[in-house]
Amino acid sequence: MGEISIDDRELRDLMTRYQNADAAALEDLVARVSPPLLRFFGRSGIGRSDAEDLLQDCWIRIHRSRHTYRPSEPVMPWIYAIARHTRLDAYRKRRRLESREVLVASIPERLHQVVPETPSEEDHFTRLVANLPDSQREVIVMLKVSGMSLEEVARATSSTPGAVKQKAHRAYAALRRALGKDRESAR
Amino acid sequence: MPDNPHDNSLERRLEKWASAPPDSQLSPEVRRKVQAMLTSSLTPVKPIPSQSRLAFVFLAVFIVCAAGLIAILNKAGFHLMTGVQMAFMTAILAGGGILFSFTLAWRMIPGSRWGVPFSLVLALSVLLPIAGIALLFPWTTSSAFVSEGWPCASLELIIAVPAAVVYWLLARRGALFASSGLGATLTGLAVFLALLPLQFQCMFQHAPHLLVWHGGTAALLVGSGALIGKLARRARLRKQELKDG
Repeated sequence: MGEISIDDRELRDLMTRYQNADAAALEDLVARVSPPLLRFFGRSGIGRSDAEDLLQDCWIRIHRSRHTYRPSEPVMPWIYAIARHTRLDAYRKRRRLESREVLVASIPERLHQVVPETPSEEDHFTRLVANLPDSQREVIVMLKVSGMSLEEVARATSSTPGAVKQKAHRAYAALRRALGKDRESAR
Repeated sequence: MPDNPHDNSLERRLEKWASAPPDSQLSPEVRRKVQAMLTSSLTPVKPIPSQSRLAFVFLAVFIVCAAGLIAILNKAGFHLMTGVQMAFMTAILAGGGILFSFTLAWRMIPGSRWGVPFSLVLALSVLLPIAGIALLFPWTTSSAFVSEGWPCASLELIIAVPAAVVYWLLARRGALFASSGLGATLTGLAVFLALLPLQFQCMFQHAPHLLVWHGGTAALLVGSGALIGKLARRARLRKQELKDG
């Protein structure tokens, strides 16, 4: 897994203290949860500063919704569900802005579709993942980058573990096809 | 995990890609900014009740309002329906109320475990009433199909719209993310609340009337709810854009 797993028991305790207005718990929570969230946003095909903006926006939403966390439930799916909505809203906003900009002057492609002159193997793979449909990429990022279980991803995406598994399988198949095509064209 | 044992190369590349993401260390400046922003409004909050408790509140509103309306309105449907028709329609409409009550409760709490996917809730709430009405009610129409129908559609509208507002006010306690799904859930629950008393007061218990005037209006209301949800999300994004400059 790409992410160091965070002890859920400790997080539950921090969340409960945060709900009780404990500033130290909030500080600890921000320090622990922000890096995986930043990675989650960073894997959405946006730059570092945009990812940091999204992180701030996400924390505002977490703060406003903190009363909806229930201590008996796991913390990370609750946080990722909010992060996911933050990312989706930002994506929609960016699309709206892009469509407006295209009317003024024709801008060629989306950021993640820009091909570097000599892409490394990692850049190339990043581009293949970026070209997956949004829902499949999101599942792959949560499973692989954030190290969440199927159950946790299902909770974060308001879905079922079966549906998450299906999306992941489709993403795997699409990546396998893309890599196969690359191998054929390299011959 | 959905790993394919036959393709280790893909798995290896995914692991490599996942473990070497862009720098995820939070800059001290951003961290300070976030903490300052949140600490300034840090007050104790009471955790929201559990999903099942929220669902029971919605269901209690559903039962009280439906029972009250059945008691107040004309009861022609009681005399015109057979026992089987009455049992089936009550089960289907109350079942719809239960499903949508839980769906709304799941929507209020981020990261909830969804017992039934929303697509299945929608499919069941469309297909079961259609199948039941088509099989159990006679396929007869009168020459006054339109004039018999619009009072039922109006009554459905009169009950469902305020009910949707009441449910929205109750659901606002949760972390609601404006979307077409949320709009459809709120109106879906309100529509089932309207359909139950409507079924018992209606004096035209024929399949075409029930499908077109009761079901058609319900579909229009749920569609409108979904559209309102979508527009609300767009308006919120626009407001945020203006705020961001």
